[in-house]
Formats: sequence, structure tokens, C-alpha cells
Amino acid sequence: MKMTKRYAKPGEFTTLELMAVCGSKQIKNGEVVFIGTGLPLIAAMLAKKTHAPGARIVYEAGFIDSNAIDIALSIADSRLGYRASAAIGLIETLGLMLQGGHVDVGFVGAAQIDEYGNINTTYIGSFEKPTVRLPGSGGGNDIVSSAKRIVIIMTHEKRKMVKKLDYLTSPGFLDGPGAREKAGLRGGGPSLVVTNLCQMDFEPKTKKIRLATVHPGVSVQQVLENTSFDLIVPKDVPTTELPTHEELVLLREIDPHGIYIPRSK
Amino acid sequence: MEAPVEDKRITIKEAVKLVPDSAHLFWGGFGFQRPPMAFAHELVRQNKQNLTIYTCGSEMELDILVGARVVSRLEMAFYAIEGIGLAPNIQRRIREGAVQIEDYSNLAMALRFLGGALGVPFMPLKSMLGTDMITKAKFRTKKAEVMTCPFSGEKVVLVPSVRPDFSIIHASRVDREGNVQIDGIKGEDVEGARAGKKVIVLAEEIVDTEFIRSQPDQTVIPNIYVTHVVECPWGSFPMMVYNYYDYDMEHVRMYYDQCKTEEGWQKYCEEYITSMNSHIEFLQKIGIERLMKHKAKKPLPY
Repeated sequence: MKMTKRYAKPGEFTTLELMAVCGSKQIKNGEVVFIGTGLPLIAAMLAKKTHAPGARIVYEAGFIDSNAIDIALSIADSRLGYRASAAIGLIETLGLMLQGGHVDVGFVGAAQIDEYGNINTTYIGSFEKPTVRLPGSGGGNDIVSSAKRIVIIMTHEKRKMVKKLDYLTSPGFLDGPGAREKAGLRGGGPSLVVTNLCQMDFEPKTKKIRLATVHPGVSVQQVLENTSFDLIVPKDVPTTELPTHEELVLLREIDPHGIYIPRSK
Repeated sequence: MEAPVEDKRITIKEAVKLVPDSAHLFWGGFGFQRPPMAFAHELVRQNKQNLTIYTCGSEMELDILVGARVVSRLEMAFYAIEGIGLAPNIQRRIREGAVQIEDYSNLAMALRFLGGALGVPFMPLKSMLGTDMITKAKFRTKKAEVMTCPFSGEKVVLVPSVRPDFSIIHASRVDREGNVQIDGIKGEDVEGARAGKKVIVLAEEIVDTEFIRSQPDQTVIPNIYVTHVVECPWGSFPMMVYNYYDYDMEHVRMYYDQCKTEEGWQKYCEEYITSMNSHIEFLQKIGIERLMKHKAKKPLPY
């Protein structure tokens, strides 16, 4: 029996909750999903409790098909071992499984992206004398290189949505159509960017980033004001689908102490 | 006639003494899981210098080693204090120019260890293509090379194999001959251990060799690779060991907050590392009550 969705009203959820719901919708039932800690972890846990109970969640440290019930702080956290099908290692997850072509969708974060969805997670400032040395690729470059689809989750600020990256850590569509193939990359590249203001996808022909939906209460103008690269804006930009009451209840069960999604006041 | 069981046991102090200044080390553990924390503390106490570390992703213990100026070069994929922020000492030492990091992806590092273990000079992979990771290097004259496969014509990246002087790993169990069992994820330890010219295995427990031989399928590193073994209970604390104990986030957060300043770091280093005579003394300082609070609550592995 199909129940009609009971949507929450703006004000009944936080932006992070909305972002987690947006992320979870990118996971299809039965897919092999590569995720990290933070919001993607919550999104994947939500997907498994709603529309994608058969999704298999893989963590690069070696936990495979995890069914964690407690929130993990580390990608190698023992919590991720709960009812997992296997606990192996990096050559297995990033090598055989991911590079071997078995991963459908990967979730990554970014400190900067450009209009082709190229990602920087390594240096802010110059390579020679950076202002900040960020954590680096980790498995990020491997995931973005080889997964069939990539979802980027990040905060939307002018200094993060840049015309030119300070450092290219992980490959989006590089400098345009055909560039990934020419470079020898096998994965499909980025498919969606979820931010605190909107969702953006990539125009199939030009591979350039395009506004897809704006979150409730956010205007197109506001998105543009917080973006440094040229963003394709279609004529009609729908509002992001609101979270349902069911999804919000589940999110609060998944992260009861607000580790990744702090409770709103 | 039965062969006598070789006894490779040494103390942690003896093990660290074997590592000379400027040595190259594979560093085991991944994220918060099974880092050789006690070994890091002892490297600081023995005032080792100018070490080069190869690893995929490491956290608090590497921040300690860089903070104490034990390590001056790193070839790795990721560093942070996950769930909290950037590793504070490493950040500061980078700004001072006291440490340099050559960056690779996790798969690239893991394959570099596999290549070292296999005895081949490089490994091909399909990551890093098209990025600055190939074109920009900090200190290596050759960091990575894109080439066309002579068989298929496909583009691959070649990364140099690593054969470090020592591989240091912290395992769940080992017998005195050096047969190693690791519960939970293995990260890149299985390959990393085999890459080292000498291999030092620290473990939560030293078990009778008959225990290992009653379940040989659980052995991930056979004794043939292992040079020395060290009994080291709670040797990753305040990080975690699968099936043994959980991390102590209160301690990790305290460390992170305190190390935001050089003074705070110096205070931590003295209080928890240099003023301690041994790993056991560090555990005594943490206190049995606190340790027991973090003991794994079976059947959960944490």
C-alpha cells in the first residue's frame, strides 16, 4: 500500500537534516555505496531505513556492507563493524572493489569545487606556501576517479565555489567534455552537489555545473551571490523536495546525540 | 623431533632503540583503529629525530610525532583528528617548515606498500589521473608518472614502491614466533608489514603458539615476515582496538584543544609522555577505572 508522503513544513527541520535527506535520495536500493564519516554516513543510514534497505555500504578502511547502529567518528571506527559482512582492508575496498568497478555511488566532501566539479581537499593558498594544509585526498581521489556516480556534499560559500582551485585533488570533469576519458579515468564523475543552499547537477553536454533545486526559503539570487564560478541557471528552478515527518523522526533516531546533525534550538 | 619455538619477544624500549635517527618507517593502523600509539610515545621519550613515515591515513599519534619533531617527512594520503578537525601540531609544523608532506591517494599508498612487499619497483593504478597530485611534488624528484599501457594502450599512473627500514604495526594478537592475528579491519597493515626490511609487531596480547595453530586461517601475517614482537596491552589508547577497547574521545578532545597552542602541546607532551617512564606508567596515569570504562562491551567490538 502506497502511503501519501507527509511533508514537514519549513521551520520544522534544519538545513543539515534537509541535506542528509537529499543525500539519502541519491542512493538506490541494492547499490554499492562508498561513504565517509559526517553527513554522508547519516544519509546512508537513512537510505537503508527508508527506500534502500538493500544498499550495501562500504567504508574504505575495510568494513563492507556495514549495518552500524551507533554513529562512527572515524572511517575505521569499530562501530562500522556492527553486522558488517566483511572486515578486510584498503586493497580490497579501494582496489579490488572500487577500482575493479563495483561501486555505484560515492559520497565525498570538498573544501573547494570549480564549475566542472573538480575538487580540492588538500591546500588553501599556494602549493609552495599554503595558508592551510587540509587533510588531503585520503580515499577521496580514488572514489571520485572510479565510482560510477559521485555526490559532493559541502557548504556553499563564495570562497568554496571557485573559478580556479588552489589545488586539484580529485577529478570532476577536469576541463570539460571528454577530458575524463582522455585522462584515462573510468568512473562517471560527479552527478550532484548538495549544499546548504541548493542542489546542483551537471549539464550533460558541457559538463558544467547547473543549478537544480533551491532549498526552501533560498532564492536563486542568494545562490549566485555565494558562488564565484559561472553557474548555469535554468528558466525554472524548483524548490528542493521537503523532508517527510518520517524521515525527520528517523534522522533523530539515527543521530540521537546530534553528533553530525546538531538539534535545532 | 619438534623444532624449538623461536622467541622474538623484546620490550618496547628495546624495540624503539633499534630505530636509528633518519630511519624510514611504515606506520600501521588506520584512522582511529590500532595506531601504534605506545610506540609513538616511546619514540618521543627516546628523542628520535628526522624520521620519514609512510602511511595511508593517521591521526593523533602522527600529530604527536610531528609535534615532538621526531618526524620531518611524511608520504601519506590523509591526516586529521577525524570528527574534530585538522591535526593541530602538524598544521603548526607545516607553517614552520619543520615537516613536509608528499601527498598520494590512499589506494596509491596501499599499492606502494604492496609493490614493496612484492619486490617490484612500481605499481600501476587508475587514480590520481588528471590531478595536481601527479604534477606537484614537495620533495620527491619523481612522485608519480603517467604512462600508456604497452598491452592495452590505456592510461595508468605508476607510483614508486616503498621498502621502508622498519614496519611498525599494532595488532590484536601475536605469538612469540611472530604469527599475527588482526581483528576487524586491516587497513593497509597486511601489505605494509610485508614491505618493511625489518618488522616490529606490537600486540594487545601475546598468545601461545598453539592458539594460533588451532586457527591458522585467522593469521594475516605469518612469522616469516616478522623480526620482533612486543607485548603492549592498551597500546593504541586513547584510540581504539577492535574487540579490545573503544576510543576515549574526552581525552582526544582535550588533546586537540590543548595542542592548538605550542605551550599547550608542550604541556601535554610533558604530562602524558616525557615525564612517564614507560607505557605502563602512562596507563597508570590514565587510571584503571577510565580504561575499564572503554573496554569493549562484547558482543560489540567497541
